[in-house]
Amino acid sequence: MTYLKSRRFIGAAFTAITMLSITRTITGNGDLTSTVTIAQALVFASPIALAGLAGIWAERAGVINIGLEGMMILGTFGAGWAGWQWGVWAGVLAGVIFGAIGGLLLAVAAVTFGVDQIIAGTAINLLALGLTKFLAILLFTNAPGGGQAQSPPIKGEIPTFTFNSLVEPLSSLHEKGIFFVSDFAGILAGLFYNMSLLTIITFLLFAITSYLLWKTAFGLRLRSAGENPWAADSLGVKVVQFKYAAVVFSGMLAGLGGAYLSIASTIYRNGNTAGRGYIGLATMIFGDWRPGGTAAGAMMFGYIDTLRLIDTGNQNVKGLILLGAVILFAIGALMLRRARRNSAIGFLLLGSVMIGAYFSATSFPPEVAQVAPYITTLLVLATASQNLRPPAADGIPYRKGDHH
Amino acid sequence: MLKGVKLASVLAVASLALAACGSSGETAESAEPTAPTSSVKVGMAYDQDGKGDGSFNDAAFAGLSKAQTELGVEIKEVNSGSSATDATREELLTLLADGGYNPVIAVGFAYSTALAAVAPKYPETTFAIVDSVVDSANVGSLVFAAEQGSYLTGVIAATASKSGVIGFIGGMEIDLIKAFEAGYIEGAKSVNPDIKIESKYMGAAGDNTAWNVPEKAKTATDGMIANGADVVYAAAGGSGLGMFQSVKAAADGGATVWAIGVDSDQYTVPALAEYKDIILTSMLKRVDVAVFDVIKAVVDGAPLVGVQNFDLSKDGVGYATSNSAVSEFAAAADAAAEKIKSGEVVVGTTVQ
Repeated sequence: MTYLKSRRFIGAAFTAITMLSITRTITGNGDLTSTVTIAQALVFASPIALAGLAGIWAERAGVINIGLEGMMILGTFGAGWAGWQWGVWAGVLAGVIFGAIGGLLLAVAAVTFGVDQIIAGTAINLLALGLTKFLAILLFTNAPGGGQAQSPPIKGEIPTFTFNSLVEPLSSLHEKGIFFVSDFAGILAGLFYNMSLLTIITFLLFAITSYLLWKTAFGLRLRSAGENPWAADSLGVKVVQFKYAAVVFSGMLAGLGGAYLSIASTIYRNGNTAGRGYIGLATMIFGDWRPGGTAAGAMMFGYIDTLRLIDTGNQNVKGLILLGAVILFAIGALMLRRARRNSAIGFLLLGSVMIGAYFSATSFPPEVAQVAPYITTLLVLATASQNLRPPAADGIPYRKGDHH
Repeated sequence: MLKGVKLASVLAVASLALAACGSSGETAESAEPTAPTSSVKVGMAYDQDGKGDGSFNDAAFAGLSKAQTELGVEIKEVNSGSSATDATREELLTLLADGGYNPVIAVGFAYSTALAAVAPKYPETTFAIVDSVVDSANVGSLVFAAEQGSYLTGVIAATASKSGVIGFIGGMEIDLIKAFEAGYIEGAKSVNPDIKIESKYMGAAGDNTAWNVPEKAKTATDGMIANGADVVYAAAGGSGLGMFQSVKAAADGGATVWAIGVDSDQYTVPALAEYKDIILTSMLKRVDVAVFDVIKAVVDGAPLVGVQNFDLSKDGVGYATSNSAVSEFAAAADAAAEKIKSGEVVVGTTVQ
């Protein structure tokens, strides 16, 4: 990581913690930055992050992967089927293999036959949905503990780690409620609390991807297949092989994301992905086709989902509304500094409306509670996605020697 | 930019296509008839993925198989799939009615619109729908006083709770499920007016994933237990598994916590055997009784039509006693049941 990039990363993290800290201080709601919240958010974020990472691999090599959801479904099924019979690690392996088969299918259709990638991906989604439902009826109906729509429980558990010597002092620091310091402590402790080995593997896969794709000759060649495959070919890069490798690996990652989900709920269940493949695709776009941004996007979805679910008396929802306002004000201030007065006024006005909603409402109707997280998500997505650049040849079928 | 638009439009098309898929209504095997003594052919259309949910659909099947063995009827079962549309549900019902199945039983409120369209076209066929009211001369609407049964579980929860905090996990946030919540709250407050009840739904109305997200239900239950809840009741279909997991984890950690199941007696469901120690009781919605009654009425030549309210007085709802741990609280629940039957207590269906 270059000096400039690490400075940007630290700046973004600093800003995020400051905003959370402001919100936490005003609402007095410690849940917003507590150890348990962050630890649980990581569990919800990981499958989405893996799907996003899978998207990065395929699209950096120039293949749009709408089939992420389908490959994830194959992964959930594989994990349920193998995990029930041979244990949890067999489930992980089967999830990865099933996902890889989905990836291979996309590679054959999109790379070898030059089928429109979006149509090929959609076909995989439909195929995976139908196939797994059919197989579930076939394989699970008469299995003890299973049913037409779900597998028997997966045997065994993924080991989890808690570093008590770190978590305990940090958590007690969090309880003290000091501005910024306590929030930072709570968030940090969350990274060492009940950490599943699969989550650690997810972290490692992000690190490995950053290194492989951006720091090695292999990565340069792979990305060149997504930026300008004809030029890459003229320099001797085996474009087709690279695309194949990237898309199959993409399938493996999506399958792993699916396996993560099944293992988290201890069973495979029809519809358990609940659209997370598409959310992964969205976080990839939000993250500008890069691992760091994708991880941040996935974490945001996981965080907001967690806050909504562990909420008591809609306190967290209130917090999120305030957080939205804080974000809007921050952007408004930034716009003012850049002398974009009209946009600045817009953001500040919208922020004031949300502040008003926060202070005037004593309780929120359940409908508001349901949508508030999504409004905050939308705000962040809309404002953070100003300067995105997909790979130049993303989605364009490649034919050797057929430059246009 | 163009690519962005293309992507967005394809995503939209994809979601439509996804909705269409699975709604094709995969036909389940029809079991071989045993002791064929009746010429009655029963058509059964399940909601979502049909049997094996350890809950609602399984209860309907229990009634059906009872009719099969005791009355010797022939049966045919179909599933709507998890993303069916009204059009495909109509197709399924038409298929059954055309095939000479009579009665045709639609399991689940999701069939309301479809049945209202199909029933008038087959005046000779008796239809029945579970959990909804369809106004047609040949339809029996089987509704359950879920709020009465939930009142009893609320009484049990409040009596069993030592912390004074109890929880409720709902599936989709619709009136049908809110009635469970309302009865539960009312029952709990009848025992302890100061009791604190934490409620959480897994999805808004229309969000079909709400029934299939056990990992979310687990997190929500974790949150409730962290806030002191020691009894949690779930009416959330397949998501309910997450509540059992969370309560089991807390119990393994040494806490005294209970879970309350729904629809079927979840203490005896094989898929949940791992969790039976922490399942105090279940709110029973006797879909099996209702389904059997409908079939028997057709066999007897006096079809049940109009609104059939299966409440406490008809044993249409109740609570399970298969876990002996509940006997400690049974006196309070039975006393409450008597008050409801006598009309002394009238349970509301909306949360106050």
